[in-house]
Amino acid sequence: MSQLVFLVPLFPLIGFLITGLGRNYLSKTATGYIASGSILGAFIVSCLLFSQVYGSGSGQVFTLFHFIQTEGFSIPFAFQVDQLSSLFLLIITGIGFLIHVYSTSYMHEEDAHHFARFFAYMNLFVFSMLLLVLGANYVIMFIGWEGVGLCSYLLIGYWFKNGDYNYAAKKAFIMNRIGDLGFLLAVFWMLAKLGTATYGEVFSQVATLSTFDITAITMLLFVGAMGKSAQIPLYTWLPDAMAGPTPVSALIHAATMVTAGIYMIARSNVLYTLAPFSQGFVAMIGLATAIFAATIALRQNDIKKVLAYSTVSQLGYMFLGLGVGAYTGAVFHVMTHAFFKALLFLGAGSVIHALHHEQDIRKMGGLKKQLPITHITFLLGCIAIAGIPPFSGFFSKDEILMATYAHQPWMYFIAMGGALMTAFYMFRLYSLTFLGSYRGHTDAAHPIHESPLSMTFPLMVLAVLSVVGGFIGIPAVFAENAHWLEHFLAPVFQPSNELVQHTHLDHATEYLLMGISTVLVLIMILLAVKLFGKDDVDVKKDDTGIKKWMANKWYIDELYQAVIIQPLHIFSVLLKNLVEKNIIDGAVNGVGRLVHYGARQFRLIQSGQVGNYLLFMILSIVVFILIWFNDATILRALNNIF
Amino acid sequence: MNAIIVSAVFGVLMMFASFLVNNKNVYRYLAIIGLSVLLLANILETYAIWSIKFDSFLQLSFERFGLFFNSIAIAATLFYVLLSGKDIVRVGNYSAEYFVLIFFILCGVSLITSYNSLLMLFLGIEIISIPLYILTGSDKKNLKSNEAALKYFLMGAFSTGLMLMGIALSYGAVGNFGLEGRGVVAFGGSMRVSFLEVAGLLLLFISMSFKASAAPFHFWTPDVYEGAPSVFTSFMATIVKATVFIGMIKLLEARTGIFGPTWQIILPLMIVLTLAIGNITAVFQQSVKRMLAYSSIAQAGFMLFALWSANDMGREGILLYSVAYTLATVGIFAVLVKMKDYTFDGFNGLAAKQPLVAASVAVFVLSLAGIPLTAGFFAKYFMLASAIKSGAGVWLLVVAVVFAAVSVYYYFRLIQAMYFKEGEAEMFEQPTNSFKGMLAIFAVLLIVLGIAPSLLFNYLYF
Amino acid sequence: MLWTNFLMNVSTASNTAVDYFPIGIQLIFAVGFVATMIGVSALIGPKRQTSDKLQSFESGIESVGNARQPMAIKYFLVAILFVLFDVEVIFFYPYAINFRDLGWNGFFAVLMFVSLFLAGFIYIIKKGALKWED
Repeated sequence: MSQLVFLVPLFPLIGFLITGLGRNYLSKTATGYIASGSILGAFIVSCLLFSQVYGSGSGQVFTLFHFIQTEGFSIPFAFQVDQLSSLFLLIITGIGFLIHVYSTSYMHEEDAHHFARFFAYMNLFVFSMLLLVLGANYVIMFIGWEGVGLCSYLLIGYWFKNGDYNYAAKKAFIMNRIGDLGFLLAVFWMLAKLGTATYGEVFSQVATLSTFDITAITMLLFVGAMGKSAQIPLYTWLPDAMAGPTPVSALIHAATMVTAGIYMIARSNVLYTLAPFSQGFVAMIGLATAIFAATIALRQNDIKKVLAYSTVSQLGYMFLGLGVGAYTGAVFHVMTHAFFKALLFLGAGSVIHALHHEQDIRKMGGLKKQLPITHITFLLGCIAIAGIPPFSGFFSKDEILMATYAHQPWMYFIAMGGALMTAFYMFRLYSLTFLGSYRGHTDAAHPIHESPLSMTFPLMVLAVLSVVGGFIGIPAVFAENAHWLEHFLAPVFQPSNELVQHTHLDHATEYLLMGISTVLVLIMILLAVKLFGKDDVDVKKDDTGIKKWMANKWYIDELYQAVIIQPLHIFSVLLKNLVEKNIIDGAVNGVGRLVHYGARQFRLIQSGQVGNYLLFMILSIVVFILIWFNDATILRALNNIF
Repeated sequence: MNAIIVSAVFGVLMMFASFLVNNKNVYRYLAIIGLSVLLLANILETYAIWSIKFDSFLQLSFERFGLFFNSIAIAATLFYVLLSGKDIVRVGNYSAEYFVLIFFILCGVSLITSYNSLLMLFLGIEIISIPLYILTGSDKKNLKSNEAALKYFLMGAFSTGLMLMGIALSYGAVGNFGLEGRGVVAFGGSMRVSFLEVAGLLLLFISMSFKASAAPFHFWTPDVYEGAPSVFTSFMATIVKATVFIGMIKLLEARTGIFGPTWQIILPLMIVLTLAIGNITAVFQQSVKRMLAYSSIAQAGFMLFALWSANDMGREGILLYSVAYTLATVGIFAVLVKMKDYTFDGFNGLAAKQPLVAASVAVFVLSLAGIPLTAGFFAKYFMLASAIKSGAGVWLLVVAVVFAAVSVYYYFRLIQAMYFKEGEAEMFEQPTNSFKGMLAIFAVLLIVLGIAPSLLFNYLYF
Repeated sequence: MLWTNFLMNVSTASNTAVDYFPIGIQLIFAVGFVATMIGVSALIGPKRQTSDKLQSFESGIESVGNARQPMAIKYFLVAILFVLFDVEVIFFYPYAINFRDLGWNGFFAVLMFVSLFLAGFIYIIKKGALKWED
């Protein structure tokens, strides 16, 4: 049964090939069925795999063929199916399927071949993501890692006629490349020191390395994670990536790809546990990103930008969880976040679809009557992300926060502040969109209407998941041994847990913290609804002071422009004019001229006269014989020279 | 033994066919059938299923390596006839005789791959050379062809003289024609290599380098390759040249002990000279045919690495190199024959008129240049890797790689002409579908071997 | 290795120089005989010199004048074929001597040789190589 593992990535690959090659021939309906069907197939196989892993309680590695084989090391093309990867398989294929179904309606206005192009990219993305998750070593993971980066680039620039979108795509790609370099260096470092990149071998041998090596490897890996999972300082691409179609934002930039960094670190948990410095660094970056992105999200007016910064912020929480050793919590949050963030993005897509590509929340309002299903599901998503019990977000976020408190109480309070901001900006978004009165211009020809079933169905499924998804991880404080996920994932994180004993909070403290946070969150929600849910909310006034800084994203893009891009640009112009033109070109052209000169001279030897040829041959033979009988002298002379 | 006898018999049969049948197409089909039977016979011997056995008094010995190379050579000839058969019969009035000579050359090839005595080596080289002189001059009405044949013959006779001298000296030292030689002998209280044997072997080696067109004994190559009818140039530049390398490998492996530290000077010197002259001169050529002649010298420079390394990897590498180089060169020549203008400009705009042909030629050229994902890449890789295994100096590899880079320049000129220049690439006739199909098969083979070169080596051992 | 070694090597390779003594004697005799004969005949022979006699013998072709005269290619063809077959016939002499020792195996080998020989002969006749008139 488990041998079917190769089918999981194969289905999307086939889907990609069919839709990609047949883009000029397939009808939209056919494309939609093929693309969604291939993901559904992968999902079904994933379910079977998951049930098997669940049943047997152990993972397995399947080697398909030898990918790279040298004397020093061998890298098999192998898939690892265990608790962690099978869980991610379910998230990727399950949510991927829903988003594919959703896209068949959302993208319906496109031309047939652009439509097929979209689904080809989407299938390729799912394929790469599955490769990333399934790979049994860092090299296969890197292939998937690059693949998802490529698909992200292609999809952000999907509407390639718009220059800004292309710029956003390039930005995402380059930021990711910076991170990928770190990842790649880490893999090289690993190969150089351990001679293997296979998870099992690396984890069992890593203890033999010096702390410096482990720290370097983990830091470099984290640089990769920073790029892919949009952490400070490489996060700026993610908000710009909202240029892509909304389902792309939901699938790639919220639910799956950006969690690749989390997956990678969770997978490498042994390494991080052995490198406390790196782990602390991860926690710091995660915390800083969580709070920083939340402040920006407070003042954004683009519906997707808010969600984008919210994603960055939530990813920060996940890294915080990883950094404080709450691996299960981080994975748990990946999962619940995938549910509610996909839901929110798809809901936002539904709104945008209904309003004919209007994304500014200042021009929305009062949509709850026109879009009842979207409204309800969106609200459920907001509650989930805000962390109201018993919605899913509460459990996962709570687990991370509790672990943070156990680790460092001051970090907990900062993280708590971020969580409050989350609640505030999410309900600001919700209120401005759905409550109050409509502030946009009404178009009689295109009345606002609810989206078709193929769009609302995924919303409803995801809404249900967002509500109940948290019950797989009920903390011990409510019921002993009710944390199903922790038991399930225990084998993956067991080596780390053996190394470090986590202190557990006593139940009283835990209840207290939970109670306070819930109350504060509720207050924030009420505040947001009160401020922005009015009929006559004033959205026109310009922000001033610190709000202006927030609205302009703390001017980070401008900072990068001034500090990194401009100097680089000046430097490159200098290189171009001075080094390139004079030195490099001179050398290259010089070599070229030399070759040409040599060619002319050599050609003269080729005179066409047999007599000359024979003469040259005889001379050569004489030289050879002379060399032969003076070999000792010549070798000595050569040895003296070299 | 199968290949030697069957090829000779088919040669004689084709001779008779020349006056019994008067249809050029029949000759072609007969040759194809003959080559297929020959290939089958050789494969049967390779797997010890059936073979003709004669007592050769230890003059010949049949091993897997030689037999496998026979298969490669015969299969390559078969492909060559399938691809260019129509152009072969069109060269002159003696259509059947061209095939006769090709069969005789194959007989010589199988002698060289299995010789166990220097006499047989000589016989093999001569059986190859004499038909080649004739094929070179087969375009009788063309003065250039005549000139080339005469030049080739004169210089070939000279090199044959050297070879005979070498064999004689070796005989004088050893006392028999055996391949093994005598090696190190006791002499005046110390162990020394007999001078006669060394001198003989050096001359033998020089004579074979001449046949393989390694510098500085390459002078005949450009003139002859250019003068000869293009179809035959492709044959002699590929299958024959590879065979000579197999002969050299056999010789050098049998007498490793004789090549002392001197080998560290002479062979690298030849490699560098061959690479330099072949590549640098090729840069300046305007005619594609002449460029290919020089490039064949350059390719020989790479094949010399197999002699230098003299290990199993080198043996595998030379087989892969033979296949990669033969397929690509035969393919390009097959297209070249159909072109009206042999200069680079003659290829201008071919891609627009004949996309499949141009794409195949592009693959051939990429393979010759050694670009990854083509067989040519792995061929070059194996050559260099085997040399490293045998402890080659880094400078030698650097030189090789630099010249491989130079070769990209003139190979890509062809791609540039086909794809990026406007023009009317005129052909004598529109290529038929079967011709295009064969070209595509060549290209696919090159790519398949470029991805999985081990496919080929499997047959070497199993 | 030095040149001197080469010379020494030769001497040691034929370490029994005495073995070559008869050959040396024969060489001296051969050269001496030829020299004596030419010298004696030049000394004691009659000398009647005419212009015809002083000309070198060239098989009846003018020995003075342009040597690059066009000649029928058939002439060379026949000559080469003659030499070819003549040389091959020489192989019959050693076979005739060893006829008994070689037995049936030798017989079949020679039969094969002759049949190839014959095949070639038939080929050149059929190709009209021996036809003098067009």
